[in-house]
Amino acid sequence: MKDEPKMDNVATPKKTHGMLKPKRPTLSQRNDASPEKNEQKLAIRLEDFNAYYGEFQAIKNINLDIMARQVTAFIGPSGCGKSTLLKWINRMNDIVPSAWAKGSIRMGDLEILKKQTDVVSLRRRVGMVFQKPNPFPKSIFDNVAFGPRLHFKIGKQDLAALVEWSLRKAAVWDEVKDRLHKSALGLSGGQQQRLCIARAIATGPEVLLMDEPCSALDPASTARVEDLVYELREQYTIVMVTHNMQQASRCSDRTAFFFEGEIVEEGETEQLFTRPKHQKTEDYVSGKFG
Amino acid sequence: MANDYYSNPKKESGRKLKSNVFAMVCLVISSLAVVILITLLATIFISGGSWLNWEFLSGVHKEDNPEGSGIGQAVLGSALICLLCASVAIPIGIGTAIFLEEFQPRNKILRSLHGLVQLNISNLAGVPSIVYGILGLTTFVYLFNLVPSIQVNKPIPWEVGATHFYQTKTLGRTFVKFPAGDREETSIKLTQNEMCVDADGNTFELKLVDKRSEAPKDPELKKGYALRGRSASRLTERSPWYFHLPLGKSLLSAALTLALVILPIVIISSQEAIRAVPRSIREAAFGMGATRWQVVRKTVLPAATPGIMTGAILSMSRAIGEAAPVLAVMGGVLGTTSGIKSLMDQTPVLPVTIYRWAGDENAGFENASSAAIIVLLGVLLIMNSIAILLRNRYEKKLS
Amino acid sequence: MSSSSVSETGGPNFVRPNFPVKSSARSHRNQAIMVSLLIGCALVTLGTTVGIIYMLIKESMGFFAGDDINLWEFLTGTKWSVGRTQGKFDYGIWPLLSGTLRITAIAMILALPLGLVTAIYLSEYAPKSVRAILKPTLEILAGIPTVVLGFFAVKFITPNLLAPLGEFKTFNATAAGIAVGILCIPLVASLAEDALRAVPRTLREGAYGLGSTKLETTLKVIVPAALSGIISAFLLAVARAIGETMVVALAAGSSPTFTMDPRGPSQTMTGFIVHTFQSESVVPGTPGYYSIYAVAALLFLITFGITLIGQIVRMRYREEYN
Repeated sequence: MKDEPKMDNVATPKKTHGMLKPKRPTLSQRNDASPEKNEQKLAIRLEDFNAYYGEFQAIKNINLDIMARQVTAFIGPSGCGKSTLLKWINRMNDIVPSAWAKGSIRMGDLEILKKQTDVVSLRRRVGMVFQKPNPFPKSIFDNVAFGPRLHFKIGKQDLAALVEWSLRKAAVWDEVKDRLHKSALGLSGGQQQRLCIARAIATGPEVLLMDEPCSALDPASTARVEDLVYELREQYTIVMVTHNMQQASRCSDRTAFFFEGEIVEEGETEQLFTRPKHQKTEDYVSGKFG
Repeated sequence: MANDYYSNPKKESGRKLKSNVFAMVCLVISSLAVVILITLLATIFISGGSWLNWEFLSGVHKEDNPEGSGIGQAVLGSALICLLCASVAIPIGIGTAIFLEEFQPRNKILRSLHGLVQLNISNLAGVPSIVYGILGLTTFVYLFNLVPSIQVNKPIPWEVGATHFYQTKTLGRTFVKFPAGDREETSIKLTQNEMCVDADGNTFELKLVDKRSEAPKDPELKKGYALRGRSASRLTERSPWYFHLPLGKSLLSAALTLALVILPIVIISSQEAIRAVPRSIREAAFGMGATRWQVVRKTVLPAATPGIMTGAILSMSRAIGEAAPVLAVMGGVLGTTSGIKSLMDQTPVLPVTIYRWAGDENAGFENASSAAIIVLLGVLLIMNSIAILLRNRYEKKLS
Repeated sequence: MSSSSVSETGGPNFVRPNFPVKSSARSHRNQAIMVSLLIGCALVTLGTTVGIIYMLIKESMGFFAGDDINLWEFLTGTKWSVGRTQGKFDYGIWPLLSGTLRITAIAMILALPLGLVTAIYLSEYAPKSVRAILKPTLEILAGIPTVVLGFFAVKFITPNLLAPLGEFKTFNATAAGIAVGILCIPLVASLAEDALRAVPRTLREGAYGLGSTKLETTLKVIVPAALSGIISAFLLAVARAIGETMVVALAAGSSPTFTMDPRGPSQTMTGFIVHTFQSESVVPGTPGYYSIYAVAALLFLITFGITLIGQIVRMRYREEYN
């Protein structure tokens, strides 16, 4: 057993934060600047989707398009079904015995909800980052290499290259490069979460699902993960559940507002936050309930 | 009136006193356990402590000679049986635990079956070990009487790894042996010349003569001759992988029986270790596209291994101290003349030796028994210390 | 080694190539193989139970198939001499059963109160220092092989504790009962402590909040709340005592007696089985051989029944608080 490094050896994100933080364009700049905006491609389409836990209907008849290479945020009060929906997109609900669903979730030609759909290759294509950082009790390297070893025929050198690439992409390389073979549990919460993101992108997914990825992090780490989400959207389709409306407005392109299992309103983030069409949405984004 | 009702200091102090007295009584009664343990250890050390020496540790049992007896064979037998038993019970136990914890079916009928297996396991843990002994006797020793049982001086129904010979004495007064072929009698009469092997391993033809005078006089040449009609007795040479069915009263039977005894304990402790692995780790692996088995193999099992090993060691220490099932399956063997050559041999084990010596009419064996107990307790102490060390490390790691 | 399109490091200029994907069919197949292996493992335990029941029924039937042996006399008879006489023998179970009950009763008189009080002390009172001694002591006591306790009963309890009190035989029910009780104390203590600890904190706080002393809280609130757990601990201890073998085989003697006298020898059901095996006169097909199964069947029925009730009670209390 290796000694776990002490927490105080970890470079605190606060120090490096200022330097690494990219100058993010404002929302309106961004929308104008994105070249792909005009040729938006459909990544995932949900049609008449209903989800249940036993008798209880958690999601009622949802229709939604998720666009490729954009960040789509799901917001809404707790228990409104947004996490449930997220977990159906890569069939994580399969491990909940009472969960079942009907309707359709399509990704390209693949019907995700079909029984025959191979969840193994589905989850390779649709990665997931969880609410709480959940690194395996293994070394940092083995954490990132976990997915590639599962899914790819890959040589030692290629694997090392892939691990470095993933860690760089997740903006955590500089902090961990000297301790790749030490336990991942010795990292700080924010580093762990970025490690989990690195682990998710190492398998080369098309879609990244993030279930409140910052809810367990301190503000500085949150900012770093948000920056990362913004960077990653160049390459991945990101669906993010969040409780934090500022977060949704800061880093998403489109937002869907959930209430009691239904989508009340869905649209471009800026429009939804500044000119909501529904009274409920306005009440929620202005903090009247939730 | 009302004032009196609310403040009655005398009664309150009485209640407090009662409470304190009760605490003291509890302490006294609880410390009885410590007193019992100390008394027990003292009794045994006083009676057997001075008997511990190398001769005792390495010797074998001798009838009516407690001073000359030892536990060498018993220690070896116990160790062998314990290892065999562990190598059977631990994989099966871990497998069952994984199945129960990680592969819970969604189907309602299968789920109730799952529950049945679980209830059955906690119930098996309460079955007296002597009942397992009888099960082992019926299943392993006699194979439900499906095949004829093994009897003295009768050929064994089904065996591998054994070569049969007949052994006879030549006129030169040396022993030679020749392959038994199809013959199954325990002794035969020499009627024809046989291709023999002598003690040095040389092959030659044994010639038969009707009278002693027909053989050459030279003692060296005489070794190639035997009297016609002389009897030759059956001799079996067993390889280390010698095996027969039914298993008979063998150390393999005993080990398998003990495996059944400790199986419920291994399962229950492995289940606890697996359950202690956080759910989030499983979710992470599922989210990466691992199959359920890959999740278990690559994340759950590595994380649960120290906990599982702790349980496994504790259950092995249970197996090493069990006497009743071994007694049922192997009988009360105290020693064998030939030692342990294969898994089909009988062997003494420590707890049975302790039991037989404690019940021996020769009072000297009482001390020998105590000395054997000291050794047994020493072994258990070492095993338990390892388990506790593992557990402490494990708890630190998970928290 | 690596393909030409892959840059050697994962540095900033690295372009992630498309690595050849392993077929998931293989993973699924491996999983299917492993699951069937695991099911096989789980079936071993079911097979054990089925094997025990099948064996006991089949071979006991061999006992009762004999000409002059019937079930009724077996269950009511008060004389037992199977395995002692070759020709005619008595096969009434009561001498053995009463031996078992006698020793179990003595063991429980000792183990239940002591175990419960120890559990109460450990869960409600014990300061850390005492706990640090008491807990390991109980664990060691629980781990001591029963044959050792049998030795202790014969060589210490009878000559040093019982001999001054009266006419105790060398092998007697009381010494065996005390030794069985000693090995049941840790069992009762740990199971009852679990039950007491499972009582929610809020109940304790409620009682203290009303001004109860520790004694009142313990006896009037916590013990009643943990009652089903405590009862289950008692039941499991009774089953353990009934099935205990080596202690009684050593300390209780080998003559089956139908009395209430705790000073004399009393062979139990388990003791009978061991003594029969030890004499190595067990030959399949003889009444002596079959009688083992008849006795074991009854022993199994009793212990399995009590354990089952104990487990069900235990499950119920677990549900109550979870």
